Amino acid sequence: MGARKFVTPEPGEDLAAIAARVLPVHESGDDSGDAAAQQLLSWNLHLAARAGSGLSVGLLPSDIVFTEPPPKRGATS
Amino acid sequence: MLDLVIRNGLIVDGSGLPARRGDLSIHDGRIVAVGGRAGEAHRVIEADGKVVAPGFIDPHTHFDAQLCFDPYAFPAIEHGITTVVPGNCSLSLAPLRADHRDAFSRMFRLIEEMPEEAFNTGVDWQWGEGFGSWLEALTGQIALNVAPLVGHSVIRMFVMGEAAQQRVATDSEIHAMAALLRECLHAGAVGMSTSFVDVDENYRPVPSRWAAPAELDALAAVLGECDKILQIVHEFYDADLTIARIEQLADLSLRHGITTTLSPLFHSDANHRGVTRVMAAVAEARARGAAVWPQVQTRPIDISFTLDQRSLMLIRMPSWWKVAAIRDRSEKIAAINEKRQVLVDEMNALTGQAAAGLGAGDFVVREVANEHNAHLVGRTIDEIATERGVSYGDAVVDLVLEENLQTWFIRASVGHNNSEVVGGLLADPLVHVGASDGGAHVGSFSTFGDTGYLFSEFVRGTGSLSLEAAVKKITLDPATIWGLRGRGLLAPGYAADVVVFDADEIGRGPEIASDDFPGDGIRWIRRQQGVDTVVVNGVETWSAAGGYVAGARAGQIASRGADHE
Repeated sequence: MGARKFVTPEPGEDLAAIAARVLPVHESGDDSGDAAAQQLLSWNLHLAARAGSGLSVGLLPSDIVFTEPPPKRGATS
Repeated sequence: MLDLVIRNGLIVDGSGLPARRGDLSIHDGRIVAVGGRAGEAHRVIEADGKVVAPGFIDPHTHFDAQLCFDPYAFPAIEHGITTVVPGNCSLSLAPLRADHRDAFSRMFRLIEEMPEEAFNTGVDWQWGEGFGSWLEALTGQIALNVAPLVGHSVIRMFVMGEAAQQRVATDSEIHAMAALLRECLHAGAVGMSTSFVDVDENYRPVPSRWAAPAELDALAAVLGECDKILQIVHEFYDADLTIARIEQLADLSLRHGITTTLSPLFHSDANHRGVTRVMAAVAEARARGAAVWPQVQTRPIDISFTLDQRSLMLIRMPSWWKVAAIRDRSEKIAAINEKRQVLVDEMNALTGQAAAGLGAGDFVVREVANEHNAHLVGRTIDEIATERGVSYGDAVVDLVLEENLQTWFIRASVGHNNSEVVGGLLADPLVHVGASDGGAHVGSFSTFGDTGYLFSEFVRGTGSLSLEAAVKKITLDPATIWGLRGRGLLAPGYAADVVVFDADEIGRGPEIASDDFPGDGIRWIRRQQGVDTVVVNGVETWSAAGGYVAGARAGQIASRGADHE
């Protein structure tokens, strides 16, 4: 229905764990968890912005975590 | 003999059908005849030349606290509002354990911007802890109808205590929450609200945000079992996240057969495609058979603020946010002097965002405390700083320190102000009018007058809606979506909630300061324009000629399914 692909975190999952669950290894070009987590973070700037807002928690169980990049500007979706 | 006849008005019955002239007959709190010529009545209101419509329904309010000390939800009723939905965004006054009141109060006061003294003075908690007992306490004490939501965050607090803001729920806790929700729905809640965005005074996410999807699914199952609605406040500032939430709501709607609503949906000229993409997602959800209703407010976003108290604008400036929390003003001023450069830098950063509509030229001095600064009212921070040869931040800090932090600033029309686009959105049959936030954010903006503005701006102004369509948008549409049977229509047997107004005059007055809340401080309100009379359940409750009727307490708990039979 036009939504970017997303998941919600399983209990105890961080971005690296989510990346391991949903991202094929080749997408990050690096099989280390850090690189995959960074790629996920780059697709989820709302989570990156949280650190700067003073919010001192990690992922929440209700968070949306996009597992694909944002649509390119001008693309229809 | 009839109780009340409203004679010879232009009847706009809420159905969207063309207006017709005639009388409206009311007896024993209900409409008994629409049109034609009525018989004798104890009271007759002459409505020649005026519109007679169902009372307006406001589905997104936070009047929870205000209703405890103000039965009229002043000034909602004079705008024609006869039914309000409090308890939005995961926060309701019940069910709440006595030992959770302090934590809840801090959360509510912060998120909904309710002054501490007004809240603490006005909310006495005499009803105890239960949702049903809260509704009992309201019954017979309110001048307008209340269709209450129960908040997901308070349900979580009730069951999990402090752990509600620490972890996911266990299966047994989810079971207990489901049972508690069911109890609240049976007591009269029209549905449950949840939040995906709010934080408490310590920047901790509210309890509802700690719920895993399985918890929300279990609670939605209870809503389905009882045929009740789910309201969410979502990440409204981000189209992708909004669309993802719409997908979640569509799934819940289809799985449990429930109606869902998300609020608010704003338009921004800075992101033209955002609303278009969101509405495409809504259309797709509807095509699948899901009931997902975005709420759109009519008014542009205006935000006022001082640097003396926490508010929507200060949340963008963490150091100001901390300073504003200091209770003693002299200590606060000392802290500002001590941290001046950090605060100046933050203010410079905020007022440097011209591209985002937050430039120094966008912020205007609204009110000053000192007479000799009166010439600054209406001038921008940019103008003042340039004149004084200082930075924007220095100009602001110098001014507010001189005025003992009592200077008011405003950023008017910061978004949702393209009337052509917003008008088209309001006319879309896939949205309903809401998100007024009535009773909340009292220091940031007025939440009153949205219904009048619908007519003045989008019926008489842009012509986006006909008179009949606009009335339907705020009467039968919300009554149907929210399951308020027996309301929202002028038809025999329906509740006699009626507003009489002048179609050429109805609007909203200017935003003015009011000191009517308990305690010090002011709130921003707008008075009505063009409304003549408001009747609640057959009782004349407000009129332009006589004002608020003392002792009028005809409001009811407008629970879903209560059809007045």
